[in-house]
Amino acid sequence: MSYMLNPGAESGSNIEVHKYYGGTVLGAALLALVLQAFLHKYGRWSELIDLPLLVTIYFGVSRRNPVTGLFLGAAIGIFQDALSHDPIGMYGIAKTIVGYVASSIGARIDTEHPASRFGLIFLFFHFHQAVLTITQHVLLDLQTPFFSPRLLLDSIVTAGAGVVLFALLDRLRRSS
Amino acid sequence: MIDTIRRRPLALLAGIVLAQVLLLAFQIKRENGEDHVRLVRYWAVEMLTPVERAGTLAFSKISGVWYGYVSLHDARAENQKLRGEVEQLRLRNQQLESQAAEEQRLGVLQSFREAHPEAAMLAAEVIGASADPTSHTLFINRGEHDHIRRNMGVITPDGVVGKIVEVFPASAQVLLINDKDSGVGALIASTRTHGVVKGSGDPEPHMEYIVNDEKVQVGEAITTSGEDRIFPKDLPIGAVASADPGNPFQVIRIRPAARLDRLEEVLVLLSQQELTPKKTNGGSVAPSAPSSPSSQPKTGALKSAPTANQSAGIKIPTPEPQR
Repeated sequence: MSYMLNPGAESGSNIEVHKYYGGTVLGAALLALVLQAFLHKYGRWSELIDLPLLVTIYFGVSRRNPVTGLFLGAAIGIFQDALSHDPIGMYGIAKTIVGYVASSIGARIDTEHPASRFGLIFLFFHFHQAVLTITQHVLLDLQTPFFSPRLLLDSIVTAGAGVVLFALLDRLRRSS
Repeated sequence: MIDTIRRRPLALLAGIVLAQVLLLAFQIKRENGEDHVRLVRYWAVEMLTPVERAGTLAFSKISGVWYGYVSLHDARAENQKLRGEVEQLRLRNQQLESQAAEEQRLGVLQSFREAHPEAAMLAAEVIGASADPTSHTLFINRGEHDHIRRNMGVITPDGVVGKIVEVFPASAQVLLINDKDSGVGALIASTRTHGVVKGSGDPEPHMEYIVNDEKVQVGEAITTSGEDRIFPKDLPIGAVASADPGNPFQVIRIRPAARLDRLEEVLVLLSQQELTPKKTNGGSVAPSAPSSPSSQPKTGALKSAPTANQSAGIKIPTPEPQR
């Protein structure tokens, strides 16, 4: 089901805001973080998928509340930083912005169709990567590339996995 | 509060991102030479340095304005005070220079007087001049109290100045040799030709009664002849400035030996005692005094008692001590 909504109009009459069972958002976020760290032990193939990013995007576009989206992105990003060797805040900043933007544009475009989801995740992946790279450039003085074939592969894999993951998460919605 | 946050999610986003940037800045260390400086400190210094620099510059400018303009009202008063002090010092300097010059002049007079102990003379200071521009007279600070009498000769170590024409209790009037009423018995030193040096009202007196046949050279010395019974013989009057044929006598202009326009101290001859030519400290050649000075009583350190010139039979008024 596709719909065009006004951002931040959760209380409006023509906005459909998805509700989830209690603890779903928190559980999904924690599970994504744990899996990201856990799977990393079994091979570098897990680096192809950014599960915390997918969770951030999904709940951002589903909740359609920028405040909730940015807080969720900040929390997930900071946890992801905490589980890594990077300074805390690198992923936090990127996912905060992604959560905010996802919540903002989720109300304007179709986020239900798999193709649109694929494209959305693909774009968000590179947007997330751009913010991350800018932060690394500015703060860490690291000359990491903005784009590379590996990043393209990662974005495609993540987008594909995201379509599947989003479909799974759709099942956790409460019926209105 | 929550409503406010919901209405302004963009501001909240900026706040959250900023908080995380700060969090990163606390963790990240940036290389600064051999040291590693925390990014937050690096940023703080980078942010504060321009502010401090601007503050220092502004303070410097303000200080410059303050010290260069605002506080100048003190400088103005100080300037006026210093100007006053400079004027006072300049005046004092002029006084000291004047005193030094006076000391020098008095030294010359003293030397001249000491070189002629046979002659009674009294040093006097010129205190005024004539109010009439056509009259060449001046006033000295010696008068009746100092035994000054009319017709006493007044000289300087350089030469003849004039004679006393009026005597007052504490001052006297001197008629200069270039005054139109003045006349001094004179002779041409080289030829011993007699004449009279008379004033014409001009700065330079004339020598009269020299016939046209007499050869007079420019620069020839003119001295007193002693015939006027005022000046002793052979006192320098001046030198011939020009000599032109005239009718019936030559017109001879004399350049006075004494600087009549710059007189400040003079010597009053208390007698017509002739002076022995001697080389004085001032470099001038004093006139001769053939008669013996031993007969002259001394009345003080600065002056000798006037006597009569017995050889010439001239009665010189003998001043009596007043005190």
